[in-house]
Amino acid sequence: MKKKSNKPKLLWLQSITCNGNTHSFLNHPDLFSILAHFEIVHHPILESKYAMQDVISGVVPCDLLILEGSFTETGFLKGGVEVSSLVELYAKKAKNIISAGTCATFGGIFKQKDPENISGFCFDLEEKTNYYTKYASKLISLPGCPMHPKWMSYVLLMIANQKPIDIDHLHRPVELYGYTVHTGCTRNEYFEWKIDTKNYGLKEGCLFYEQGCQGPYTRGSCNKILWNDISSKTRVGTPCFGCTEPAFPQSSLFVTKTNMGIPAKMPLGIPRRAYLGLTGVAKSFKIKRFSTRLLEYDK
Amino acid sequence: MKKIKIKQLIEKIEGEAELDFTFNDGLIEDVKINFGFYRGIEEILRGKDARDALVITPRVCGICNHAHLITAVRAIENGYENAGHKIELTSKASDIREFTLACELIQNHIKWLYMTLLPQIESYLDCKSEENYAIKATYLSSTITKALAIFAGQWPHSSYAVPGGVTCDPTHLDVMQAQSLVDESITFFEQVVTALPLDEYLNINLCADLHKVGGDFGKLLHLIGSSGMTEIGKSHDRFIVFGEGMLSKPGKSIVTNISNVNSKYVSESAQVGTVAKSVTYKERLYEVGPLARGMVAKTPIVKNLHKRYKDSLLTRVFARIHEVATLLEHARTLLNNLKLDELSCTLEPQHTLKDFEGTGIVEAARGSLIHKTIVKDGLIVNYEIITPTQWNLSHGNKEELGVAVQAMKGSKSIEEATFIFRTFDVCSVCTTQ
Repeated sequence: MKKKSNKPKLLWLQSITCNGNTHSFLNHPDLFSILAHFEIVHHPILESKYAMQDVISGVVPCDLLILEGSFTETGFLKGGVEVSSLVELYAKKAKNIISAGTCATFGGIFKQKDPENISGFCFDLEEKTNYYTKYASKLISLPGCPMHPKWMSYVLLMIANQKPIDIDHLHRPVELYGYTVHTGCTRNEYFEWKIDTKNYGLKEGCLFYEQGCQGPYTRGSCNKILWNDISSKTRVGTPCFGCTEPAFPQSSLFVTKTNMGIPAKMPLGIPRRAYLGLTGVAKSFKIKRFSTRLLEYDK
Repeated sequence: MKKIKIKQLIEKIEGEAELDFTFNDGLIEDVKINFGFYRGIEEILRGKDARDALVITPRVCGICNHAHLITAVRAIENGYENAGHKIELTSKASDIREFTLACELIQNHIKWLYMTLLPQIESYLDCKSEENYAIKATYLSSTITKALAIFAGQWPHSSYAVPGGVTCDPTHLDVMQAQSLVDESITFFEQVVTALPLDEYLNINLCADLHKVGGDFGKLLHLIGSSGMTEIGKSHDRFIVFGEGMLSKPGKSIVTNISNVNSKYVSESAQVGTVAKSVTYKERLYEVGPLARGMVAKTPIVKNLHKRYKDSLLTRVFARIHEVATLLEHARTLLNNLKLDELSCTLEPQHTLKDFEGTGIVEAARGSLIHKTIVKDGLIVNYEIITPTQWNLSHGNKEELGVAVQAMKGSKSIEEATFIFRTFDVCSVCTTQ
């Protein structure tokens, strides 16, 4: 007879999604040693003990529920059953709930199809939904479109090791979201001296002033814990689109919104007056290294 | 004559689908493929800035997001050209785009081999091994997406391709790192997937030499061959490719005759009972994907298999895995020849057109992906996405059954039919967008 597993039972349940968080997590270099702490009762891709039909029947045990995708009360069915009822059923059983990605956390992209009826599970943008009161005590939010695989593994291992996770008011772990995407960006010197990039495709210059980069006010550790262990959007010259934030996606993502030539939204926690003062000083100097191509300067 | 209808939920296909099988005298006569939920990406795009499509459309699909990005940027660039402002990409920019796209296809095909086909065929044939196929899949897929991320910043959901080129500015250091990751992937392919050196594998042109293929691919071919599955899964034997790229030129193949195609003859229509729309070319159904590319490009080993087994399950499965070898070889060549001193992006950000109509086409993992954008006053007024699976998984029309339905017709069991279904590399989310 097979020994009964006493590992926490992990159920990964998808609602309205693109599967981006599922595939993001599959990139984790230590995937199988992390998953070894759990018994996978159901997963959208990995072989698991129970089939989707069992999940729908409501018979699957669940200690840890991972939700992926935006939430709607009615109209999204699997096997003739409203997914909202499945989410609730397993949310009740679970000891921990992780909302994986911006859709499951705040509503995300798919909310824009039907803003009245589509939301995250416990949050609708930043507002608490009816489910918040019932399930907030179990909830960890991992927004990001997609979420980073190592953000997920941090939460999974903290749960496996029965350690408490410090969270903010939107239930995001502070160790992951206490940083901004700007933290660790390789373009930081150009930000400090207010040097704009002249075009796409250059390693020099900051993308905050013209190209729409939301890194300085977007929470997330994309430039601290690199993507695919290799890079990040801003490191390859793509602006941060704020994909971890409740209002993602905003519009005109490749353009910085400005007031009188100054970015309309300030870096996180920086008073406008402080920013303007510093900008005035920084811009009053012409620094040769920043007007030369980076790899040409020392030649 | 006894008719029976059976409903079956199919999972682990990038979401789920419901298949309604109709049996007649013990054989499958028809199948209705139902996908549940329309997410409305095309509607979400309306009223947004033209370039926002570069961020929004990758979110159609977690596994082929990069193909959506490249299609979206080509749609904008084609729109500029139609409006009289042709954008010339540098060879560096187009080579980098092709490289990252190749990486995504490799990722996809390898996950399909290890996470769909091998586990499914073993459970269908009741010969379950204890192997952890997923660890092989994720080792190669995460290695090759690392190489992608060197240029594109991340996978999934990069937006590094912009009108005029790419946002990255790689150095030799980056290219060396990418080369090393491609080499690692090739080593895995040689030692684990085929048990053959890549050049020897690529020299196989005849079915008679396929016995040389070992490794997990060899095991799969053996399982298919020894279980009488070489003859099943045949469909209309009609193929189409729209994307110009490393794997094939555009064209269609009917009874092995190759002729030209034009995407303006593609039309979409709504279907009863599912939110997926069907697609036809001049009102005829065509199969898209790796087998179509192999037929149109006249890949010798694919043609040789086709000569013997037609468009059967074996030929279809083979064509997809075979692309991994072609793509790895191509990825290596692209990196070796990358001209780092060229511009990454030739379009100045201030040169933004406000009014245009454009079409972007890319050969994605599952076949031709088409985006059409109409932009007025800088904003998207209409956006149309036609995904590869819409071609392969439609119900068909008055004259004919859909491509996958035809392939399942005549099958004697649901288990066999769903295995045939999975050989199309079904993607639920792409089909319903």
